[in-house]
Amino acid sequence: MNAKNRIRESAGDHAFNLFVLVFLILFGIVMAVPMIAELAVSLSSKIASQTSSIGLLPVDLTFASWQFMLSNVSLWTSLGISAASTALVVVISLLINAMMAYPLSKKHFAPVKALMLIVVFTMIFKAPTIPYFLTLRGYGLYNNFWAMVIPQVISAYNLLVMRSFFQTFPSEIEEAAEIDGCGKFRMFFQIVLPSSKAVIATVGLFYGVGAWNQYATPLMMIQDTALFPLQLKIHQLVNAASGDIAAAVKVSTANYTNETLGAAAVIFSMIPVLLIYPFVQKYFAKGAMLGSVKG
Amino acid sequence: MKKLSSRILGLLLALVMMTAGMSIAAAESAETYPDIEYWFTNEGFLPAEVGGAYYNLTKETIGVGVYMPYVDWNGGQTYREQLALRVAANDMPDIFIYNNGIENSMILDGVALDLTDYLPEYMPHVWEAIPASVWETVKANDPTGQGRIWTIPDVTTFTRHGAYIRTDWLEAVGKEMPKTQEEFVDVLRAFKENDLNGNGAADEIPTGGRMEARWMDYLFAMYGVAMYEGYPEWDVYDGQITYSAVTPNMKEALKFVSDLYKEGLLDPETLLNSAGDWSGKFDSNRIGVYYHIPWVAYQRLQGIYDFTGGAVKAQVANLPQISAEGYEGFITVKPTGNSGKMVSADVAKDEQLMKAAFRVLDCQYNMEYRDLEYGVEGMHHEVVDGKKVKLPEDKATQELLILQTPGCQVETVDVISSRLEAIRTEENSWQIDESLALLNGNQADGKIIAADGMPSSVYDGYEDIQNRTLYVEYISKIISGEYDLDKFDEFVDRWYSIGGTEVTERVREWYAGKQ
Repeated sequence: MNAKNRIRESAGDHAFNLFVLVFLILFGIVMAVPMIAELAVSLSSKIASQTSSIGLLPVDLTFASWQFMLSNVSLWTSLGISAASTALVVVISLLINAMMAYPLSKKHFAPVKALMLIVVFTMIFKAPTIPYFLTLRGYGLYNNFWAMVIPQVISAYNLLVMRSFFQTFPSEIEEAAEIDGCGKFRMFFQIVLPSSKAVIATVGLFYGVGAWNQYATPLMMIQDTALFPLQLKIHQLVNAASGDIAAAVKVSTANYTNETLGAAAVIFSMIPVLLIYPFVQKYFAKGAMLGSVKG
Repeated sequence: MKKLSSRILGLLLALVMMTAGMSIAAAESAETYPDIEYWFTNEGFLPAEVGGAYYNLTKETIGVGVYMPYVDWNGGQTYREQLALRVAANDMPDIFIYNNGIENSMILDGVALDLTDYLPEYMPHVWEAIPASVWETVKANDPTGQGRIWTIPDVTTFTRHGAYIRTDWLEAVGKEMPKTQEEFVDVLRAFKENDLNGNGAADEIPTGGRMEARWMDYLFAMYGVAMYEGYPEWDVYDGQITYSAVTPNMKEALKFVSDLYKEGLLDPETLLNSAGDWSGKFDSNRIGVYYHIPWVAYQRLQGIYDFTGGAVKAQVANLPQISAEGYEGFITVKPTGNSGKMVSADVAKDEQLMKAAFRVLDCQYNMEYRDLEYGVEGMHHEVVDGKKVKLPEDKATQELLILQTPGCQVETVDVISSRLEAIRTEENSWQIDESLALLNGNQADGKIIAADGMPSSVYDGYEDIQNRTLYVEYISKIISGEYDLDKFDEFVDRWYSIGGTEVTERVREWYAGKQ
């Protein structure tokens, strides 16, 4: 009976696994096709992109778009600015988030309710663009590198994710540490944080991707091209091929369009995220489930 | 001996003092101006920053350093947003361009400078270059109702648009230049049926246009429909100024265009083509009749030349504006643009700054400084045999030419011709010749429409009408055959009911005032 059951189960399992495998492969293809198509566009010529006949393979192969992008020195400066601001956002926001989320996870901490109300308030109500701009400008962030860091440092949603995680942290461990004479700070930095790698990686990734992709705030705050983060720089480069002013008398020898440049830009800005993702993925899968089940 | 040396010394001293005095006087006569932040269209060029090559050029040439941070144009949208932020922060650029009706709110908010009294004295070249009739229109459009001049509009004094036809194809099918609608359709059929590009595929496109039925104005114009780059315009129909899209002329034109579509004489992708798609089709040697800005045809001819590996030097000529039977065809001309330049009210706080701003604007209209259009030597142009020749556009290395086309000076056939000459090289000479011929060839077909200079404020509160949302929906479906032509009457009724009546009233009121 038992053996029979096992066989039937494993056959069912097998079918299920096969289904999952096939499904994931198909899903993977669906994900990959647009990227391959974009890559093909980025390697196609101006006329090919204009006659819109590009599938998964480049038509009339040329590296003109890539050459235009990569030969631009300021692109690399912008890459550095984006990398620096992203790194700063991740480090600072993780520190501040953890330090705020931890006390908020404690029921006996008196102002929890009031503080949570303030946090949730920012999730629901957003400042309109112009007052927001004037506030940041008032802080001296106009044309300032920190405009890409400070406004990104705390997000209510990420704070809640972290708080939920800390709420599930076994209080027995903390009690035991306390009995051994461990102070609050030491407990936080040496016991709680080291056992919270999953949530740190997850929230760090959220902040990192958000900071890397940020566009609206820099567009508003940064007009000095020397301070452009990657996304703004890419937008500038892609725009370089658009021809709004039809009547302008000019000579153009470019073998790219805003479409091919845009495709190259998409691939280019995706690469860093693509390189980092596999390393945090194992935490990410775990972390995304955090707080969904409370003990 | 001692006496002599002291005399020489005295003489020298006197000389030194005299020259010093002279140089002080010289410094006083050449005024020094503060820098001017001037916001202009930038589509990806490097910013012209303080101390940069272009800034230095303007400082040397006109005595005022002109600069602009990088502000993305993005069809005007990002530009307007960024400008609004700077207005909110009380830190406006000194001079800026306006479009899309933002000028009215700026004037009413008090952030624009009233130029009326300054123009004749400080900007005589601007004052004289722009026709008096245009100034009258500007005054009539003053949103404060006081007849003041707040804007310097972009002015075009000639016919900008027109269709051109592949004369090498015409010759190949043995046809004459069409003069009537019948002959025109006959030519289109011949273009479709013969493999004129010789690639073995029946991929020739007799004619067509772009999405939203844009850039095929000449087909509508055969029925006297005033149309500007796909935007129906206001002109006098039945003795009254009326939106051309709701006239019986439009219905007839739609019948004609949808018939062309049905027969395959219009690009089947007409209603899908982006700007790049459409010009790309011409460049790939497939289009017979193309409606655009004729003088930039050299770019298209170069496109075909490149596409065919130098095998085809396409020949084009103006297609005369054809009139359908019983109608008077014309190309819509609007000398007074809906865009132009304004000065920040803040510059009036500093007299030198104000003078500098006026000087920059005046120099833009002063032919003496025409060479500013060539930009910086080595960056924007090179000197060949003592003549300046523009270098190919390269946005990775070139700074934005702020004091440049369009909108710089008043555009006339002469100005455009000289711009074309500026890019003439041995290789593209034949293309420039064709462009010049096209520019000069259709001037007689243009007609200044009644709505010239009409402010976009007539649409306030009726953005759907301004954006022609309903129009695009109906016209696209009628052309593609999804709707019968009878649906046009429904469109007219709906258009009037969603605000067309009110807008029409405003336009008629404005027009009565203008007259």
